[in-house]
Amino acid sequence: MTSQAAGEEKELSVMPGMSMIGGEMLKWSDRRPDERPPAGGPVLAHLLDRLAPLVPPGGQVLVAGPHDETLVNALARQASVTLLLRSHVDATAAAGNGGAVLCGTLAKLTDAERYDLVIALDGVDRLCSVEGPQYDWRESVRALQRVLRPGGTLLLSVENELGVHRLVDRSPSTSPHTDSEWYPLGEFDDSRPGTPDRLTALLTGEGLEVGWLGATWPLPHAPALIATPDALRAGPGGALAAAAAGAVAAAYAGAPVLSDPRRLAGTAVRAGLGPELAASWLVVAHRATRPATAPALPPVLSGDGPVTELTRTPEGTWERRVVGGETRATPQRDPGRLDGPMPTGRLLEELLLGACVRYDLPAVRRLLTGWAEWLGTLSAERGYATVDNVLLDGDTYALLDPSRLGTTTVSAPAAAVAALHRFADTLLTGGYAHPWPAATEAGTLTAVLVGAAGLDVDPDEFGTPVPAEVPPPDSLREHQEQLRALRQQLDDTRKHVKWYEKQLAGKEKELRKTRKQLRALRGSRAYKVAEVGMGAARRARDLLRRARH
Amino acid sequence: MHHANHFYGHAHVLAEYCGLDRDKPPRIDGYVQHGWNVVDGLGGGTPYVSGRPIFVWSEQTRRRAWSMGRRQATVTGSPWLYLLAVEPDPEPDHEREGTIFYPFHGWERQGVKGDHQRLIDEVIATEPGPVTFCLYWHEYHIAEIRAQYERAGRVVCHGYRGHQWRGTDTRFLYKQLAELRRHRRVASNRLGSAVLYGAAAGCAPAVYGDPMQLEREDIATADRIRRQWPELHGVHPDPVEATASALAELGAGQLAGPAELRAMLGWRRGHLEPAETAVVADAKSVLSEEAA
Repeated sequence: MTSQAAGEEKELSVMPGMSMIGGEMLKWSDRRPDERPPAGGPVLAHLLDRLAPLVPPGGQVLVAGPHDETLVNALARQASVTLLLRSHVDATAAAGNGGAVLCGTLAKLTDAERYDLVIALDGVDRLCSVEGPQYDWRESVRALQRVLRPGGTLLLSVENELGVHRLVDRSPSTSPHTDSEWYPLGEFDDSRPGTPDRLTALLTGEGLEVGWLGATWPLPHAPALIATPDALRAGPGGALAAAAAGAVAAAYAGAPVLSDPRRLAGTAVRAGLGPELAASWLVVAHRATRPATAPALPPVLSGDGPVTELTRTPEGTWERRVVGGETRATPQRDPGRLDGPMPTGRLLEELLLGACVRYDLPAVRRLLTGWAEWLGTLSAERGYATVDNVLLDGDTYALLDPSRLGTTTVSAPAAAVAALHRFADTLLTGGYAHPWPAATEAGTLTAVLVGAAGLDVDPDEFGTPVPAEVPPPDSLREHQEQLRALRQQLDDTRKHVKWYEKQLAGKEKELRKTRKQLRALRGSRAYKVAEVGMGAARRARDLLRRARH
Repeated sequence: MHHANHFYGHAHVLAEYCGLDRDKPPRIDGYVQHGWNVVDGLGGGTPYVSGRPIFVWSEQTRRRAWSMGRRQATVTGSPWLYLLAVEPDPEPDHEREGTIFYPFHGWERQGVKGDHQRLIDEVIATEPGPVTFCLYWHEYHIAEIRAQYERAGRVVCHGYRGHQWRGTDTRFLYKQLAELRRHRRVASNRLGSAVLYGAAAGCAPAVYGDPMQLEREDIATADRIRRQWPELHGVHPDPVEATASALAELGAGQLAGPAELRAMLGWRRGHLEPAETAVVADAKSVLSEEAA
């Protein structure tokens, strides 16, 4: 041991409520700006609320790994909570807030059969410290399972190595970039399940019975949409695909990616691959024997402020209801408007893109005209009736998220122009074929789309377009596509300039010929005679005019 | 962009549809397909400038153009259908009579080889009512050919197509529409724009008789046309099927509204370019302008 290390040992502070179990990391924090944020968000907070009844009076909860304080504090109000943190810095901060903390590495966790509920929403990859054994996924789950009481419940988040977030990541998961990635196994951890079915089977093999499993978007640590495989298979597919794409859009606003994750998420859900390509899976698993009073969890939970659940009615329709999160109405958002039947149909943007790549002009016009007319029937929500927030079922247009409101009412043509400008941008920068290939500039394409929507206005009348609140992801594949298009446009422009030069040369030749003819005509006897005659006639006319006055 | 946009007054019809001055159509930012063809929508030999749109009549033509490397083909539907939209039939219930026959025509660089008399005889023997022969300006100005047709029936010519923005009969299509609306049948010895226009204007279409031949013509194309559109060929094709086929070729159902068409053609308000004309007039007119 060096003298410096000995010095650190001397300074080590152990707050009341904090137990040093061994293998802790000094001067380390999992809360660095360049590291993944701890698991959190309104949907996870609501999920924990729903699971709180699993903990009997006087029962114990272990929260393993970094979790957002809001989650921990809410839980601590209902049960006795212990945190497991590998970072001494993080553990000290948590203990300072009055919590019980086990500080050290997962391999040192020895509290056998102690907890009624173990929560690992951050996954298991930040439980082992640099010291001691580096557990793979299965060993980590086994270690957590051991500390559960019989009948206890494990709430576990399992990152999908083939999730949309991974597929669009510009950095390979096996190439370390930050200080926390000292053991970058990525998809080479063979113990890790790759599908929800395998996850269920693996947990069963560990003596854990899966009571509920949900696929999540957009990111494992901050899900905004959780849906069970059943809901994804039999639920309102168009709305769920749109919700997945929307959740991903918000998380990846302006973010560097390989390809557009919105398209990938939406397509996966529509194609029936939602669970397989979700960012992660959340499981509620019980150590035998399963408690008789396990709370029922809904098929779908979602929310980026207000949290809603989606449930199937006895009639087979789907109902949306606000169940948590931010439920107060403000002038900008009224969560109460989310309550009611879930709109069905397909996202208007997807329908339009489908019609565009088929060069189906009548379909594009039908979709846009119907939408533009429907905009006229809306009021404060009109500004949010953009093509990526509208579902169309037959002839019925409906808002996917009707809760957002404009503080001033935008006119229907102004709302249409703004939305179509964004859609024109999507067509031009998103890598989509469309029926107006020569309209390579957003203003022109917007004008075409506005016309196709049956509106007799010019986008210029509405001033400079306002940029989208949620900018699109910064995608390499689409950049590549734009580069190709720009090269082509440059090449076309060069040819265009050459054509103009040729035209000009032709016109100059014609002009020279005409001037030559003109000179020849002026030099001719007939012209000179006519000129003299015209001069005399003009003089005579002037004389006559003067004489009259 | 190209003087062919003014052929038959196409640009003028489009300007009228768009609510602009039909006598001064602004410059079109691309090439308007000026006649039915089975290639990329451009006329043979048109010097295409890469990157400019070709405004084609039908989605099928767009696909064909794409396969020929024309990436900018944009479907607008034919100017003829826009004309029908701006010129509703003033007497929709009037009695139609006889047949208007369009003999296959040549142009400045390709004359038609064939026996006109044999064709005339076949038409007169086939058609039950009076026949109007509509000659293209090319044949109309060949006295012997015109006389042959005049001996057999009424002869009309819709006007001069135009060339380099000069001499264009901007009322060409309006005259053609008025003539077609007088007739019960439209026929030709080759499938072409006129037969399609006639079908769209309410005539029963037919294609029969000696197809004749253009000088240096690729006959394989003519054969291909007969194979692909049999429903339009024959003395009495099923009029419902034939008309549906003709309308599809003209791009029925694809027409843009005025605002959309303005944006497509580069005619947005505040973005208009001046009307295209023959840039350099002849010396005589320059002289008279100078004298004025």
